[in-house]
Amino acid sequence: MEYAVEMRGITMQFPAVRANDNVDFSVLKGEIHALVGENGAGKSTLMNILYGLYSPTAGEVYVNGRKTEFHSALDAIQAGIGMVHQHFMLIPRMTVAENVVLGAEPRKNRLYDRKQAGKEVEQLSAQYDFSLPARAIVRDISLGMQQRVEIAKALYRKADIIILDEPTAVLTPQEIDELGNMLQQLKSIGKTIIIITHKMKEIMDFSDRITVLRAGKKVITVNTEETDANQITEYMVGREVHLGQGRKSYSQEEVMLEFQNVSYQDKVKNVSFKLKKGEILGIAGIDNSGQKEITELAAGILTPDSGKIIHNGMEVKIYSAKEIKESGTGFVPQDRHRHGLVLGMSVEDNLLLGYQRLAEFRNKKVFLNRKAVSDNAIDKIKNYDIRPTDRTVLTGKLSGGNQQKVVVARESSRAKRMIIADQPSRGVDIGATELIYQIFSDACKKGESVLLSSLELDEILAVTDRIMVVAEGWVTGIVDSSKTTRTEIGMMMVNSASKQEVAE
Amino acid sequence: MMAKLSRDKMLSVLPSLLIILIAVVLISIILLATGANPILFFMNLFKGSFGTKRGLINTISKAVPICLSAFAVALANKVGVFNIGVEGQLVFGALGSAIAGIYLQELPAIIHVPLALFGGILFGMLYAYLPTWMYIKQQANLMVVFIMMNNLAKLFSTFVIIALIQDPASMVTASQPIQKSAYLPMIMTSPGKLNISVFILIAVAILIYVFFYKTVYGYEMTACGVNGEAADYSGINTRKYIKWALILGGALAGLAGAIEVQGTYFKLYDGFSPGYGFDGIPIALLSNNNPLFMMVGSLLFAALRVGSNTTQIEQGISGEIVTVIQGILVTLIACEYFIRYIAKRSMTRKKGRRMTI
Repeated sequence: MEYAVEMRGITMQFPAVRANDNVDFSVLKGEIHALVGENGAGKSTLMNILYGLYSPTAGEVYVNGRKTEFHSALDAIQAGIGMVHQHFMLIPRMTVAENVVLGAEPRKNRLYDRKQAGKEVEQLSAQYDFSLPARAIVRDISLGMQQRVEIAKALYRKADIIILDEPTAVLTPQEIDELGNMLQQLKSIGKTIIIITHKMKEIMDFSDRITVLRAGKKVITVNTEETDANQITEYMVGREVHLGQGRKSYSQEEVMLEFQNVSYQDKVKNVSFKLKKGEILGIAGIDNSGQKEITELAAGILTPDSGKIIHNGMEVKIYSAKEIKESGTGFVPQDRHRHGLVLGMSVEDNLLLGYQRLAEFRNKKVFLNRKAVSDNAIDKIKNYDIRPTDRTVLTGKLSGGNQQKVVVARESSRAKRMIIADQPSRGVDIGATELIYQIFSDACKKGESVLLSSLELDEILAVTDRIMVVAEGWVTGIVDSSKTTRTEIGMMMVNSASKQEVAE
Repeated sequence: MMAKLSRDKMLSVLPSLLIILIAVVLISIILLATGANPILFFMNLFKGSFGTKRGLINTISKAVPICLSAFAVALANKVGVFNIGVEGQLVFGALGSAIAGIYLQELPAIIHVPLALFGGILFGMLYAYLPTWMYIKQQANLMVVFIMMNNLAKLFSTFVIIALIQDPASMVTASQPIQKSAYLPMIMTSPGKLNISVFILIAVAILIYVFFYKTVYGYEMTACGVNGEAADYSGINTRKYIKWALILGGALAGLAGAIEVQGTYFKLYDGFSPGYGFDGIPIALLSNNNPLFMMVGSLLFAALRVGSNTTQIEQGISGEIVTVIQGILVTLIACEYFIRYIAKRSMTRKKGRRMTI
């Protein structure tokens, strides 16, 4: 078998960290190869080297058997490598065809040839069965379709080796399946595909071989057929992981939070549910089905247009994040960079955010008690395993997982009644995810409740007591986690017609 | 205050020092091109502003309104908005102080002085309130409204001076003199005049320092300025902070205007401010809102204004050079990100290359 890509002894030394340490990585021609590992394991760095964005400190790169030294992405593109980034590099205002040809436009008399571009893109679309709407404006098409445009871009540049960085992060379950089919088809015509991911389902479903990185080093390369999800997780984390395994239910009858026919704009439609004391209630659904708004309504950030929200037996009259927080509710927002943290402030200050008015942090009413603030930080850093342990470092310099630990530490440690968490595991490595869910479970043991929204069905099934499924802002069902299946929830996720008739 | 500066903080002022250095180089080039000797220029500038007792006192007394303006800008910066309306509020404050100084009569100085100062503060606050309200309630563009209101304040004060309080004996457009009882007490009158506004300034600086760095509110303001959305989500009332930062900024600007009327001119001259309110902007930005640095920066800016007289006399370099220097500084501040980017790039180039696609 021939190698499409061979990377030998790659070492990448950044000023502070060694992102890759003597990594050997080889991809066979015409295979789908999954490059997996936790956040910060060095996957992206390795692929950026292959794509010419970084020059490695040491090591050699061979493409199609020839030793190469790329100095920019242009060199890599010329060598037949295409990359689809996690965040799409498309221009939303331009048409699909224009985006596909951008940078390699067909020309007539030195001018851009619009007709020819449209024709070529349509041909390409037909050739690979992409059904691209060549004339549509990119911002009007779905994220799944945008991803196809990105892949088409690579194919238009005659790429034989296509790198996909976290390709399913923004896709619905259906779109993920479609992507899988598309990749199989590309493979069948001889393209080589590398996908960077940490989602177990795709790793097992899509790939032929798997390479696992951990902390910058290669752990192993295996054939997908000869392994299973648990083993890969173990390679990634370095130990066994049992998400939610053996967890008990601490659910009691008392109701801590109740929504009664709550509506908000066109995002939340007539939603009713009850969150019981000691319970973890999951919210499942396709991304952007109203989960974010439901959690923000519960946290007092948004004010409902109609309906009642009842916290601890009392109807909320004034929706203010401050008052809900003071009533003993912690909130972990979805976008930790924008809403959860002030990245330009230290870890110490971020562990205080929202609680600075508590008496213990004040000195003679107006002064900030710095001693108490740092004691608080030292305590949280230790108990929640936040790394690095330096409390004065800027929060923006922490890894995603550790940033999330800062938010969870702050919100869960002071919540007395309830934690509301919107996708707390998003962009967080498995180790940190496990820790976060352990914290939630411990909170339930103490009689607190947790409202948890997540896009990861497996996680939600594993760690919750009940699951509320939402579709297009409607609640389409509330089921017992122990009695339901992936398929049942998947059906409810796309079936907004059944709407809410359950009030339990 | 200085003892607390850690290495990190020292590093954070590095770009500011670099900007000043580049500005000096650029000015030297301009001076050379016009045939003047830059070394002599800087020596004259220094001699004029710090070299003599009289010059030094002049510089200090000019630095007061500049520094108050810088504080006003810094308050807004701290909560993440840009206050370019200080000049207008300063002029309006001067008007308020002049009216209180002229029309309130037969009061003892101990009452009249603070009352007239308060007149300036009140006018400054009121003048800042309108754009603030428009920004918070109507989402108007703060920058545009502020710039318009700067012009409005100048023209309105000209109108009031000519129509209502003009001094017929004066050769230039100016108001009647204010009552003697509203004069700010002097610390010294020879070889130069220095009034007690220096103490007011120091008190304000200490207040701001404590407020910014020691109180819960300072912490909340920082959160507000660095990431307003996160501050909102955590329950901090960011609108309230923005509102009060702008209104209190107006108060400081008004105070600066009142000090000019009651301590320097004793009447309201049309166009008395050579742009103190605008001087505050680069100072606040270069000082990263630190009151101590702002005081130093204001001294330097005042020195430019005072020293330029000497350079004009000695070397024939027009006083307009001050405006050129400020223009260069503002331009360089606007390029700060670019300067940082270049510095960072040249540092990391050897280790790992990053190309834009």
